[in-house]
Amino acid sequence: MSEEHIVKSFDRDLEAIQAMVMKMGGMVETAILDGAKALETRDEELADQVRRADKAIDALEERINEEAARLIALRAPAASDLRVVLSVMKIAGSLERVGDYAKNMAKRAHVLGQMTAVGGSGGALRRMARAVVDMLSDALDAYVHRDVDLAHDVRRRDCEVDQMYNALFREFLTHMMEDPRNITACMHLHFIAKNVERMGDHATTIAEQVIYLVTGALPEEVRPKAESVTAIGVGEG
Amino acid sequence: MNVMTRAESSVASDVVKISARDVQVHYGTTQAIKDVDVDILDKTVTAFIGPSGCGKSTFLRCLNRMNDTIDICRVSGRIMLDGEDIYDRRIDPVQLRARVGMVFQKPNPFPKSIFDNVAYGPRIHGMTQSRAELDEVVESSLRRAALWDEVKDRLASPGTGLSGGQQQRLCIARAVATGPEVLLMDEPCSALDPIATAQVEELIDELRTNFSVVIVTHSMQQAARVSQRTAFFHLGELVEYGETGTIFTKPRDPRTESYITGRIG
Repeated sequence: MSEEHIVKSFDRDLEAIQAMVMKMGGMVETAILDGAKALETRDEELADQVRRADKAIDALEERINEEAARLIALRAPAASDLRVVLSVMKIAGSLERVGDYAKNMAKRAHVLGQMTAVGGSGGALRRMARAVVDMLSDALDAYVHRDVDLAHDVRRRDCEVDQMYNALFREFLTHMMEDPRNITACMHLHFIAKNVERMGDHATTIAEQVIYLVTGALPEEVRPKAESVTAIGVGEG
Repeated sequence: MNVMTRAESSVASDVVKISARDVQVHYGTTQAIKDVDVDILDKTVTAFIGPSGCGKSTFLRCLNRMNDTIDICRVSGRIMLDGEDIYDRRIDPVQLRARVGMVFQKPNPFPKSIFDNVAYGPRIHGMTQSRAELDEVVESSLRRAALWDEVKDRLASPGTGLSGGQQQRLCIARAVATGPEVLLMDEPCSALDPIATAQVEELIDELRTNFSVVIVTHSMQQAARVSQRTAFFHLGELVEYGETGTIFTKPRDPRTESYITGRIG
């Protein structure tokens, strides 16, 4: 739908709300990268900055929801316009969750800063965070360009993030079994890894919203999944 | 998917009441309707939407041969009511219009009493044998039009003295009084305020338990609210016809999408 509305202010409203989501996306990407960096470099000031920035992300989500409600009430959007408004609300919700996970990573970075470092997991977590940021940024690009192929590509890549998480899970388990003094740090690190993995799921949700926005239906085919760690027992770590 | 199934099931019947095939309408040399094929369901509200001049009212008027009254208008193709060609020579258009009633844009009560407005159709069609029977038809018609309680104490007052919304419901009562099977409504709410509009819309929803209702409306919101099937006309063509929920959320044709989202007029 490249044509403009007869009522031009309707176009401006739709563009404004989508611009807010893109802004929110940028803020969330920064939060993830900074959170991961603070964790790896034990930079407490950067960690504090990430925690503070989350308030702005939450406020923006609230504004997006208010704008969406106003748009529905005043413009009665139909068909693809309605899908824009619905997808904007879902994407903002996903981004808000990702922002919370980034904040949580920063909080734990603070705690971990007081402990002895465990293995090279900081670097591995940062690589995983990088992969998730790439997914997120591609999902938002796909949104802007209404690019269904790119959205499908993002969905497929979630499997790689899941595999990274599984590898970290095993690594943390090994460290904990080697030396019980690692348990506290590893528990924190594991939560961080799990949260980054959840961020990937949210990026996938955003990619699915792009597909819904363009085609009018959510993708049906099952996406590739990594082997689950839920089956791993203590003895086999 | 669940939403769709529920909306779909709100259609009470899958019996085709009116079936139109290859309908063409010309006003002189101008073609107003091109190759329209459509099946209108019984006990269902069907909305015709489209920009001004798209042919939706012209097509509506074909369904009870109102276009016969326009000299230069020529209708071809077949329109079947319960399988019977309504343009067949043996069909009396006056009798047809008792079966396929019509309500117009502006309320147009006769300059007669409320009672006589409603009694007019049953009288000329000789539908009642006694005054008591006629009283009964008038009361039940006014009740169906959700007007009885408001006018029962002043049936002898002129119909033109009612408010706009009441006048329109009076016209609906008048159309219902001849016991039609189909009710055609050409923008029945465009001259009414929002409350009167809501009352007429509620009435349309009740009427569909007994009739097939076809409504032409410029308000897409109204089409979305009252109908189960929507037909989109553009430049004399029937572009898309389908379940109302689908038309307004996921139309197939880009022209429908452009129209319902306010991109073409």
